[in-house]
Amino acid sequence: MKDFEYIQPDSIATATELLAEGDAAWSNVSRRAIAGGQDLFGELKTGIVEVDSLVDLKATGADNTIAVDPSGNLRIGALVKLTDVAELAERGPVASLLAAAALSVASPQIRSQATLGGNLCQRPRCLYYRRPEAICLKKGGDECFAYGGHNKYNAILGGGPSFIVHPSDLAPALVALDAKVTIAGAGGATRELPLADLYTLPSEGDVTRETVLTPSEVLTQVETQLPLVDRMAGTWRSSWQKFRERDGFDFALSAVAMCLRVADRRIVDARVVLGGVAPRPWRSAEAEAALIGQELATHGSAEFDALAVAAGEAALTGAEPLDHNGYKIPLTKGLVRRALQELSR
Amino acid sequence: MSRSQDSTPSWPTATAAGTGLREGRVLGRDIKRVDGPAKATGRAGYGHDQRPANLVFAQFLCSTTPNAEFTLDLAPALAVDGVVDAMAVAEGKTVHLGQPIAAVAAVSPQAAAEGVRALAQHGLEVTVLPHAISIEQAMAEGAPAVRRSGNVGRVRSSDEGDVEAGKQEALDAGGVVLTRTYEVPVQHHACLETHGMVVDYSGGEEATIWASVQGTFAMHDGPPEYLELDPSVVHGRVEHMGGGFGSKFGVGVEGRVACQLSKRLGRPVHLFMDRETEFHAAGNRSGNRVTVTAAMAPDGRITAMESDSLRLGGLSGGSYAGLPYVYTVANSKSAMRSVHTHTDGNRAMRAPGHPQASFGMEGILDELAYANGVDPLTARLANLPEDEWNGVWRRQLERVAREIGWYEHEHRTAPGPHEVVGANEVVVGIGFGLSVWGGGGSRGNEVELRVDRDGRVSVAVGTQDLGTGARTLVSAITAEEFGLDTGQVSESIGSTRLGRGNMSGGSVTTASLAPAVKDAAHKMSVVLLAKAAEATGVDVAELAFAEGGRVTGGGVDIAWKDLCSRLAATGETTHGSWVRELQDSGVHGAQAAKVAVDLVTGHVEVLEMVCMQDIGFVLNHLAAKSQVQGAMVQSLSYALFEERLIDADLGLALNPNFESYKLANSTTIPPMKVLFDPEDERGVIGIGEPPAIPGAAAIAGAVHNACGLRLASLPLTPDKVLMGLEELRARG
Repeated sequence: MKDFEYIQPDSIATATELLAEGDAAWSNVSRRAIAGGQDLFGELKTGIVEVDSLVDLKATGADNTIAVDPSGNLRIGALVKLTDVAELAERGPVASLLAAAALSVASPQIRSQATLGGNLCQRPRCLYYRRPEAICLKKGGDECFAYGGHNKYNAILGGGPSFIVHPSDLAPALVALDAKVTIAGAGGATRELPLADLYTLPSEGDVTRETVLTPSEVLTQVETQLPLVDRMAGTWRSSWQKFRERDGFDFALSAVAMCLRVADRRIVDARVVLGGVAPRPWRSAEAEAALIGQELATHGSAEFDALAVAAGEAALTGAEPLDHNGYKIPLTKGLVRRALQELSR
Repeated sequence: MSRSQDSTPSWPTATAAGTGLREGRVLGRDIKRVDGPAKATGRAGYGHDQRPANLVFAQFLCSTTPNAEFTLDLAPALAVDGVVDAMAVAEGKTVHLGQPIAAVAAVSPQAAAEGVRALAQHGLEVTVLPHAISIEQAMAEGAPAVRRSGNVGRVRSSDEGDVEAGKQEALDAGGVVLTRTYEVPVQHHACLETHGMVVDYSGGEEATIWASVQGTFAMHDGPPEYLELDPSVVHGRVEHMGGGFGSKFGVGVEGRVACQLSKRLGRPVHLFMDRETEFHAAGNRSGNRVTVTAAMAPDGRITAMESDSLRLGGLSGGSYAGLPYVYTVANSKSAMRSVHTHTDGNRAMRAPGHPQASFGMEGILDELAYANGVDPLTARLANLPEDEWNGVWRRQLERVAREIGWYEHEHRTAPGPHEVVGANEVVVGIGFGLSVWGGGGSRGNEVELRVDRDGRVSVAVGTQDLGTGARTLVSAITAEEFGLDTGQVSESIGSTRLGRGNMSGGSVTTASLAPAVKDAAHKMSVVLLAKAAEATGVDVAELAFAEGGRVTGGGVDIAWKDLCSRLAATGETTHGSWVRELQDSGVHGAQAAKVAVDLVTGHVEVLEMVCMQDIGFVLNHLAAKSQVQGAMVQSLSYALFEERLIDADLGLALNPNFESYKLANSTTIPPMKVLFDPEDERGVIGIGEPPAIPGAAAIAGAVHNACGLRLASLPLTPDKVLMGLEELRARG
C-alpha cells in the first residue's frame, strides 16, 4: 500500500471541496472519501486502488443518528455504524427488516466499524475485480473475465458487459422500504434521490462505477418512506432472507427483501427486492405483480405452494445464468418461498 | 507414582469409572495446557513476534504468472527510502504461480512493501510462457512441459486376484457393478502463523534463529551453512509456533533468504510470508481425481475394484493412499499417476493422501450399498479386513453408529427424499468413514530432568510444540512420577541448546517424546527413593511417592522438600531416552456424521459428528480430545468450504486470502463427540493425523443418505447440491 495523506475536514462542505479538488481535471491528486474503511482499506491493501489522500468523513460532524418517525419510518445518518442498525429494536416492519439485514453483514468486528453509507457504496466482491493482476472492465480494462471464467458468484440478472453483483445487504432492504438518499456535493449543494436510482447497471453508462455519485459527492442520509400510514387497509410485514455459502460470515449468494401489506390475508401491496444476483439491488415488479391481489395462504398448503412458485418464477423473469451460476435461480426462488413462509405466519 | 522396585517405567494402570480408560493422578485425565494463559494473553513469544534490536523486515516479490522467464534489476527497490538490501531469489525463470522471485529488506514492513512494489513496477521484465494449470491443460497434446520428465508421472500399479471374475461373481449373485469418478480439490494448510523466521545475527560468531517450524533441529539444516557459522553457535528456538500440519518440516526458501540477507547486512532479519505468499508458496494437500469401477454382491461384499487415479501435486508428485482404502477387496487393480501443473508443489498435510482416498472409497461403498439395497453400515462391516484389527473397527463402527442415532434413523437401506414432501423442506442423513494410521514413536529425544535441593523440578528437551500440547505433557509426565502438580514442574522446550528432539510429523511426537520424559522421571524416582531409604533405614522396596511428592511406606512419611534437602548442592540430574515398551503404533478409527440438507436452498449443515479411536494410553484427555476435534473441524471445512481457485485460462489465482478461500468458522462447527477405545491396552500412540481422514467422506455420505445425492467432488457447496437435486428431480 502506497503512503497517503490523511485529511480530517471538520465539515461535509470542506470534505466535498477537498474531494472536488482531487476530482478536478487539473489535479493529479487522487483523493477518496473514507468512513468506516472496511471496504476501502481492503482495496488499498490488495493494491486495486491507490490514493494520494484520504478524506475522513467521520470528523465532519455529519449525521450519525437514527430517528424514528411516528409511523415507524427511519431516518439514518450515513455515518451510523452497522452495529447500531443491527441493534434497532425490532419494532415494526421497517426496523425489523433493516436490523435483520444489518445483522447478516460480515462479522461483529466489521459491523462495529462499517457505516451505513459505506455499505451502500461498497465496491464489487467479484473474484476478478479483487485481484490486482486482472485489469477487468471494472478497472478500466476491456473484458469481464468472470463472463467466461469462474462466475459462480456473479450476476444472473442485469449483467453485461460486466457481470458483478452488488454486494450490499442494506441496499436491497432499503430499496424495499422505498428509501431515498441525501447526497452532498461540492459548493454546499445537496440533492435527494430514491435509493433505487442511486445504482446503475453496467450497461447504463460508466461501467467502472456502480452508482451515479460523482467523485466529489458523498451520501449523508437515508430515509425510508414505506407508505405505513396511507388510507389503504392492512398492515405491512417484512422479511429478510440472505443465503450465504458459509454461515455466519459471508456475502450473499442470493438475498430477498420482501415487504407485504396484508389485509384479511390478502396481499394489497408488495415490495420484492433481490440482492446478490444482479449488479444493483434488483427490484422485481414482476414478483410484486404476482403477489398483489393474492391470498397469503399458510405454508404447507397447495395454495401457498402455488403462490410461492408463481412469485419465484416472476422474480427470476429474464434471468440468464452463466456457466457456473445457474444454481442461483432455484436458490432465489427458494428464498422468495422462505420470505413468503415467514410472512404467512 | 512409581515404586523403586519397578525396574522398568510403566504408565498408570488404574481404571477410571465411567470411561473404562486408564488414569493416573495427573495423567489419563483432563490436563490444562501449561502454556494456555501465556497464549491466551499474548505473552507467548512466537517467531513472528520477535523484534531484536536493529531489525530489518524482509518481504518477497512473487510471480503473478504460472510459467515465465524474467530479468531483474534490483535498483528500483534499493532506491526506495528505508530499503537496505534486495536480492534475487529465483534465477531467470519461475515455474509456479506465486513463486518468490526476489526479496527486499527494509527498516519497516511498509518500506519493504514499497520496495517490492517498486521492483514489480520498474525492476522486473517478464516474458510470459504458456502454462498448464488444469489436468486437461497438463495432459493435452503439446502441453508446455512442467517438468523435464514430462507432465505425467510413471504409473504405479497393483494387481491382486482376478477383477473380471470378481465382477462376474457379484453380477451372478444379483449384485451391481458401478463406475464413478471422484475428485477432491487442493486444500491449504492455512497455518495462522505463516512460514518464516527471525534471524538474530549482527555479524560476529553466533546467531539465534526463531522459526515457525515443526522441528527445532531443522534450524541446523541449512541456516549454519547460509550464515557460514558452525551449528554449535547457531541457536535455534521455537518455543511456540502457530500451526504446521505438515507444511513446516524445513526452514524453506524463506529461511534461506532470511539467513542470507542477515549475513549480507550483519543485521537481524524478520522474514515471514504474507498471507498471499503463504497460499502460493508454502505447500498444500494435493488434489486428486480417481475413476473407480467396483462390484458388490447383494450381501454387501465388494468383490472387485479397479481404479485409476491422478495425483494433483502441482510441481510435486501428490500423495494418495490408493484404493481400496482400509477395506479389503479380494480382487483389485489400481493404477496411479502424478499430473504436474505450474502450481506450488504439495507437501505433507495431516495424513497425506488418506482423506483423498477415503473420499473415493467411502463414496463408491455407499453407492454400491444403496444400489444393492444394503445399508451402508452393513456394507462397511462386510468389507473390514480379516485381520487382528477387524474387531476393533467393528466395535468402533457400531459404537459411532449408536452414538449418532443410526439404529433409530428413518432411511437406512435407501436414501431419503430429494423432493420436498409437504412442509418438510429439510432432510437429515447419516454417513460413515474409517481411518488407519501408524502413530508410533522412535528414538531421538534426549530429556534432562533436574531436581534441586530446594525442591524445584525442571525438565528440558529441545522438542517443539505445534500447538498440540507437547509442552504440557513434558510437565505432566514428570509431575505424575512424583505425585506433584504440573505447576510444580518447570519445563523448557524448543531450543537447540537442549537435548535432541524429533521432528513433529506423521503423528510421531507423543510416542517419541513421552517415553523419553517418562524414562528420565523414572530414573529420578529411583534415585530419590534410594535417598529416602538411606535416610530412614526403610527397605527401598517399601517406599513410594504419594500425593504432594511425599515418600511413604514402611511407616515413614517424608515431605518432598525434606527429601530434596538431602540432595547435594548441585541437585540430581537424570537423562531419559526413548523406551520402546512405553509406546506402540497402529491406530484405527471410525467417524459418523449427521447432516441436514435444505432441499430449497441446497444448504448442508453438519448437525453432529462422532469419532472413536484406539490410541493406546491417553496421556491427556483434554489435549487428545481437542486434537481429534481439531482434525474433525479441518475435515468438515474440507468437506463444505475449502477449495483453491485458479482461473486455468488466465493462470490467475482467484482466492489466496481468508475471505474467499473459505474456512469453517465457529458457527458452522457442530457438537463433536470424541471417544477413546477402552479396550486398547497399549502404550502411548500419536493421534495427530488419523481423525483428519474420514470426516469429509462421512459428511458426503450423510448428504447422500439424506437425499440420494452423491456429490462426486468436494467441497459440497450449495451450487452443487442445488444443481444435483435438479438433476435428480429431472430423472424422476
